[in-house]
Amino acid sequence: MPAKRISEHPVLEFQRGEKFFFDFEGKKIPAYPGDTIAAALYAQGLQKFTESKLLKRPRGFFCAIGKCSSCIMRVNGVPHVRSCITLAEEGMKVERQSAMPDFPDVALPCTPVNEHKIEIAVIGGGPAGLSAAIVAANNGADVHLFDENANLGGQLVKQTHQFFGRYEEHAGTRGVDIGKALAEEAHEAGVKIHSDSTVLGYYPEMTVTVDSSNSLEIYRCKGIVYATGATENFLAFENNDLPGIYGAGGVQTLMNEYGVTPGDKVLMIGAGNVGLIVSYQLIQAGVEVVEVLEALPKVGGYQVHASKLRRAGVPISTRHSIIKAIGTEKVEGAVVQGLDDDWKPIDGTERTVECDIICIAVGLQPDNHFLRLAGCETKHVPELGGIVPLRNEYLETTVSNLFIAGDSAGIEEATVAILEGKLAGAAITEKIKGPSSELTTIKEKAILGINDMREGPYGKRSKKGVNLCTFEGGCIG
Amino acid sequence: MNEKAGVVIIGGGINGVGIAYNLAKKGYTDVVVLEKDYLGSGASGRNGGGIRQQWSTRENIELAIESTKMFEKLHEELDTEFEFIQGGYLVLAFTDEEITQFKKNVKLQNELGLNSVYISPEEAKEIVPKLNILKVKGATFNGTDGIIYPFPVVYGYARAARKMGVDIREHTTVTDIVTDGKEITAVKTDKGIIETDTVVNAAGGWSTEIAKMAGVELPNRPYRHEIMVTEPFAHFLDPMIISFHHGIYFNQAAHGNIVGGIGNPKEYPGINQRASLWFLRTMAKTLVEFIPNFSAVNMIRQWAGLYDTTPDAQPILGEVPEVDRFFQVNGFSGHGFMVSPVVDKVTAELILGETPSMNIDRLKVTRFEGMDLEKEYSVVG
Repeated sequence: MPAKRISEHPVLEFQRGEKFFFDFEGKKIPAYPGDTIAAALYAQGLQKFTESKLLKRPRGFFCAIGKCSSCIMRVNGVPHVRSCITLAEEGMKVERQSAMPDFPDVALPCTPVNEHKIEIAVIGGGPAGLSAAIVAANNGADVHLFDENANLGGQLVKQTHQFFGRYEEHAGTRGVDIGKALAEEAHEAGVKIHSDSTVLGYYPEMTVTVDSSNSLEIYRCKGIVYATGATENFLAFENNDLPGIYGAGGVQTLMNEYGVTPGDKVLMIGAGNVGLIVSYQLIQAGVEVVEVLEALPKVGGYQVHASKLRRAGVPISTRHSIIKAIGTEKVEGAVVQGLDDDWKPIDGTERTVECDIICIAVGLQPDNHFLRLAGCETKHVPELGGIVPLRNEYLETTVSNLFIAGDSAGIEEATVAILEGKLAGAAITEKIKGPSSELTTIKEKAILGINDMREGPYGKRSKKGVNLCTFEGGCIG
Repeated sequence: MNEKAGVVIIGGGINGVGIAYNLAKKGYTDVVVLEKDYLGSGASGRNGGGIRQQWSTRENIELAIESTKMFEKLHEELDTEFEFIQGGYLVLAFTDEEITQFKKNVKLQNELGLNSVYISPEEAKEIVPKLNILKVKGATFNGTDGIIYPFPVVYGYARAARKMGVDIREHTTVTDIVTDGKEITAVKTDKGIIETDTVVNAAGGWSTEIAKMAGVELPNRPYRHEIMVTEPFAHFLDPMIISFHHGIYFNQAAHGNIVGGIGNPKEYPGINQRASLWFLRTMAKTLVEFIPNFSAVNMIRQWAGLYDTTPDAQPILGEVPEVDRFFQVNGFSGHGFMVSPVVDKVTAELILGETPSMNIDRLKVTRFEGMDLEKEYSVVG
């Protein structure tokens, strides 16, 4: 049994509504309200979603959050639909497409283009975006929040573990509950929420285009907070494109958001916090984690997470990496090897690991193409995960009134994302609505909190990175 | 001590590297190409890759016919795959004036040896079955027109030229052209001075600025033109489809994506390479008018480049009266890539003092001095 719907879970409760069916290549596929097409198909054992362009190799989903396009399918005659973020609907007709599908055989009714004038657009409904929207709306701004997923909360929606960090930023609460609380708070604050709405582009000046249920909406804004998070890094090894090789975040989404297990036996690559936490969550969902590999000489994530795994009997092999995946249509195992001090594979240490899922947890990179489109100056800062926008201390970029927060500004963790959201939300509101003592207090507290988080042993690297891309003084222009 | 070079070429686009290649092929390699950004970062890397011979003026038709013949063999010469697909150009007429002009064009094109034909809307639909011909009044078609992937041509030329010893420098900005009377003495850049007596101005949208550095006024003005690409599909569209009436062109590239653009008649001159919302909306709407099923297609990228536009929409080639050995290769008005093989060959011949294999005297800048110009009408995008 490769995949199954989770019925019992120590933390999560999956209240599935009334079952309905859609058509997949002539077969009736059961689904529940809230299922994406990809989740419902995966629960029925489908692993091959599409195929590669030249060599026609099978492709599975990878990221599960609409960022990688590995799962595009033909839905109701329309090709290139991201099945991982498109909700399944009763009677829907879903087909696999090749990488070069036929030109659509349908013409869709043309919908009007609507223009809106708003004060603040917040792009991204994760911890950073929600926090920014809440502060701005509570202080009198007209705030619209856009997220391409059906559910708000960003990556919090799949975090079943309790957060560390600061009490004011929900330490001790499970991530999934923080996400729900923030979403509720945003509703209450009067944030106009547009979920299932993909921001397509930026146009001068301060204009954002949004694909909202197949209509084009144009928002002319006074300011923007950009908080779309990150994308997962990939790893180069032989056969690395087989279905069954997924981002750790993708597996987490499948498992904790849609209640579907990825498979039976998982090999986890990477012992940073994501690798360790997802491994433990796999065990909670009843999946066996056969081994965790880490190329570094020591575990990168928090010891408390590593200890939980060790107690559960999962071996963590440092100075080890994956050499190749075994299988032709899907993962049937992996070859792993020890690494020497120069990260080179040591001859004779190759061994085969039996697994049907390989999870890649080798870091994240900031998702900020939009900012480059908007003309923000950027810089490559390895400490923050890659290319990041330059910003002042209030998180305003080199484009006036365009602010950033969270992982898209540089990879850190959710507590910092919440604090950065508050800071950016207060600073943008101050610029657009005028200063107030309340906003000043929020800004000061957020800066203190961020500095506090970066003082810890895991924050030093981030602090160094942020110093490399923070410019003095106010914004240009 | 200053560097010295026999020829300095300003602009690392198709013509800059193409001229360098042609000079080197003739054994002349004392050449420096200066590009302020990366090779092909201007219009050469931003265009739709159209190779069209259906023009309205003798000069453009002749340049295009000869260039197309050269493109057919160039990939072998440069040992680079360009994905040159000769699926033809289908030029649609929407007004009676267009019909008159198109018939005149075909007559001249046929006289010059091109096998273009005037066809009915129904015949156009046979070539592109998905085409909406409700408002189409007529069309012309030429099967040897086509599309090319521009980047590999630029890089193919550059690689071959470098191999023969040409010095091609990226991220080097020209700041001044130093003259002594009518003679050029040096080119100044942000990285140093290069002494030379021969300069080629192949700077595309920036060519007017470059000319000014030598005290030469050119009539060209840069205009933004925008373009987009959709998701890929299995091959369904053979020709490039264009309409001057709408200012639109689109084709299906070798990798299956639809590539196309539409011109904004209200665009004003200036260096602006940012994407606009006007383009997004107008392109989407017009594509759906041409082929309704485009309504179920996603555009995945849009971008902009510069047309270096002259008053008669024909290029400026050859020397100028004010300064000796200052060769112009600019003003292509949106169709520089497709005529580059001949232009680059002839320019190399002129630089070396050889008899040019095609007479381009009528394309010199002096044509703008008070005489009646013959305008090229068939500009699109």
